[in-house]
Amino acid sequence: MRWLALIWKSLLRSKRRTLLIVGSLMLSVFTVAVLQSLLTSLNSMTNNPNSSNRLAVRHKSGLTQMLPRSYEPYLRQQPEVETVCALQWFGGYYQDPRNFFANLAADETTIFQMFREEFGVSDITEAQIKDFQRDGAGCIVGEVLAKKNGWKVGDVVPLTGTIFPINPRLNIRIIYKSPRPSDENALYFHFKVLEEGVPRMKGLSGSFWVRLHRPEDIPRFVERVDRHYANSAYETLTETENAFNLGFVKMLGNIGAIIQGITLAVVVAILIVTGNTMATAIRERTTEIAVFRAMGFSSGRVLTLLLVEGMLLVAMGGMLGLLLALVAATGVRSTLGSLTPFLADFTILPDTILACLGGTLVVGLLATFIPAYAATRRPITDGLKAIG
Amino acid sequence: MILGLLLAAPFVAYLAWLVWALVAYPIPLGYNLRSLWQRKLSSASTAAAIALVVGIFVVVLSLAQGLSVAFVSSGRPDQALVLRPNARYELNSSIERDRMRILKVHPLLEREGNAPMASAESVVVKLFTMVDGSDTNVTVRGMERMGITLRPQVHLVQGRWFRPSLSEVVVPRKMAGRFPGMELGGRLRMGGRDWAVVGTFEAGGASYESEVWADVNDVMQAFKREAYSVMLGRLEAPERVVGFGQSVEEDRRLQLEVIRETDYFKTLTKAGDPIKILGNLITLILTGAAIFAAMNTMYAAVAGRTKEIGTLRALGFRQREILASFQWESIFLCLTGGLLGSGLALFANGVQTSTTSFQTFSDVSFAFTITPGLMAQGVAFSLVMGLLGGFLPAWRASRIPLTEAMKGG
Repeated sequence: MRWLALIWKSLLRSKRRTLLIVGSLMLSVFTVAVLQSLLTSLNSMTNNPNSSNRLAVRHKSGLTQMLPRSYEPYLRQQPEVETVCALQWFGGYYQDPRNFFANLAADETTIFQMFREEFGVSDITEAQIKDFQRDGAGCIVGEVLAKKNGWKVGDVVPLTGTIFPINPRLNIRIIYKSPRPSDENALYFHFKVLEEGVPRMKGLSGSFWVRLHRPEDIPRFVERVDRHYANSAYETLTETENAFNLGFVKMLGNIGAIIQGITLAVVVAILIVTGNTMATAIRERTTEIAVFRAMGFSSGRVLTLLLVEGMLLVAMGGMLGLLLALVAATGVRSTLGSLTPFLADFTILPDTILACLGGTLVVGLLATFIPAYAATRRPITDGLKAIG
Repeated sequence: MILGLLLAAPFVAYLAWLVWALVAYPIPLGYNLRSLWQRKLSSASTAAAIALVVGIFVVVLSLAQGLSVAFVSSGRPDQALVLRPNARYELNSSIERDRMRILKVHPLLEREGNAPMASAESVVVKLFTMVDGSDTNVTVRGMERMGITLRPQVHLVQGRWFRPSLSEVVVPRKMAGRFPGMELGGRLRMGGRDWAVVGTFEAGGASYESEVWADVNDVMQAFKREAYSVMLGRLEAPERVVGFGQSVEEDRRLQLEVIRETDYFKTLTKAGDPIKILGNLITLILTGAAIFAAMNTMYAAVAGRTKEIGTLRALGFRQREILASFQWESIFLCLTGGLLGSGLALFANGVQTSTTSFQTFSDVSFAFTITPGLMAQGVAFSLVMGLLGGFLPAWRASRIPLTEAMKGG
């Protein structure tokens, strides 16, 4: 600690150089932090801790094929099953087609049991649920979505259908709060609206959500259902909710590989730039270092001082970059978050912060080591003769 | 636009002056280039860092370009797509059989012999398993034979086109390696029956290269569809699309929407926008970082040569000559990095990748193509970095007082 003042003085030796390198590091670390958080944000879509015993049953051929509602009794009869809920993506919009949010037709009788964590059911009164279930045109809305559009309980929301040729007018009965903001960007309405409005949807649903009592039963259940309907006119594909969501994230393509590639390139660039700067800084001080060693500083101590200096330098850049990223994340959440479901939860997680900080420190250490080591190996007499 | 020009004007003027200086003041320039060589390690590391940034820049550009090519180069201005109102995308649309019958005999449609140039089509999405075992959505398009005539950008590579009622499909040549069975003579399983692959086609990079094509009635039977999805029709001239649209939209029996085919594809390109915006942001920020790094190197270079600069001044070189030559030193440094980076980007050339269009809900495959144009953009980009990163240090070099420079250690 008592050497800190000395190290600090060395860093301030060329203020401009320190400022420039810290600026450069700041921008690089900012980029890496944001990109990595983007990746974790995408991945968090696929590991919802509350969904561990929920499954999605859909048509084997793909999302646009429907399953008959008559499958529901069979699913419900299975001993592992707690509840079953028919769900159909409606894909409508409110006022502006670009204004994306999830809106689905759902079985109003079982939906609260199915998504009790997501809907924060403990905060919803029995009366509210009855209210919603009695109103054929009722709907429930997440708080984030309601706030964005200025909706209150009792408001009428006209949706324009894109996949289905109906434009339902729905009454908001419940506004729910969710542990994750991304789950609040959704609207659910009675399945009957779809069934009665669209003749071709009679007796059909795009998917069934199934909640089991215990997650251990999943493999057995999946195997049994898919085998039961194998070779029928409507074959099923059953998978966990997380696997179902993963399918969507994977559809984005190799985003992960691209982000990791850019991160690697940036880290290498930081390494090179920092190494170059530290080399210049140390070269400038050849005489000074020789004087230090002549005074009795061991080369190990000089090496440590230089290494700490390099690490302090990168740590400043890294921390500023992370600070910038944290500020930016709040901005992203409040602007882009309401537009795309992927970014509603966008945060720079502590893990990412630690990884970035650790990474920059390692880079600083590596980048400083070579020039610093060379400086301490140099014969003292040489260093004293050298003209700075 | 005007603001951009105003901003660019001093920039261009400065660059022009620099080029003129290149011819006018040859001696200090040679000195600067040699001194770059003198500080090999420092120059090389700065150039390498810039190379990495330029490499990222070029790859991101090619990604954006690959995405636009995958969507745009499709469609003719004299063709129109008929959809259900508000459907916006083919996949969402449905047109009942009786409406299709009325639509297909519309008098404004162009004719080939006796047949109207129109194709009733059914668009569905089917989950296919790829070679690596993961699943992806692929668009399956059922069409009439006329549909092939209406898409002149598509041509057969191997085999022949599908025939009706025989459960035959043609597949894009680009998809062949990625899905098992998708090759000439292969078999695919869709809608509970086996389909024979009788041909492969190419579409010059258009989004059709991510679709499996078959006869419309076969597709509707297999996927249990009672309604068509869309109709694509050709009109006598591009101007006729508007009239056709009005007549279809006003017809109470139809109640459908008409979009010019080229416009439809334009809306699809929006799928690439988020990636483009993100890519541009990344490069913008990293450019800032690279400029700082270049500045640092140049400042160090100037500081280490105070005495030499003093000597140059004493020899009679003027301040602006020093400014120009140091500016050129930084430009050369960055250009080296730029050339290197553009070369580095070539490694990404030809890499096939795919993403999903959330509008059409299916797989879109495209390749990174590093064209000479993109590489030139990368090099130009490094030139800008050299200009911005070198200006302040060069300015400083030219302003060092002569007396101090001569003294300076």
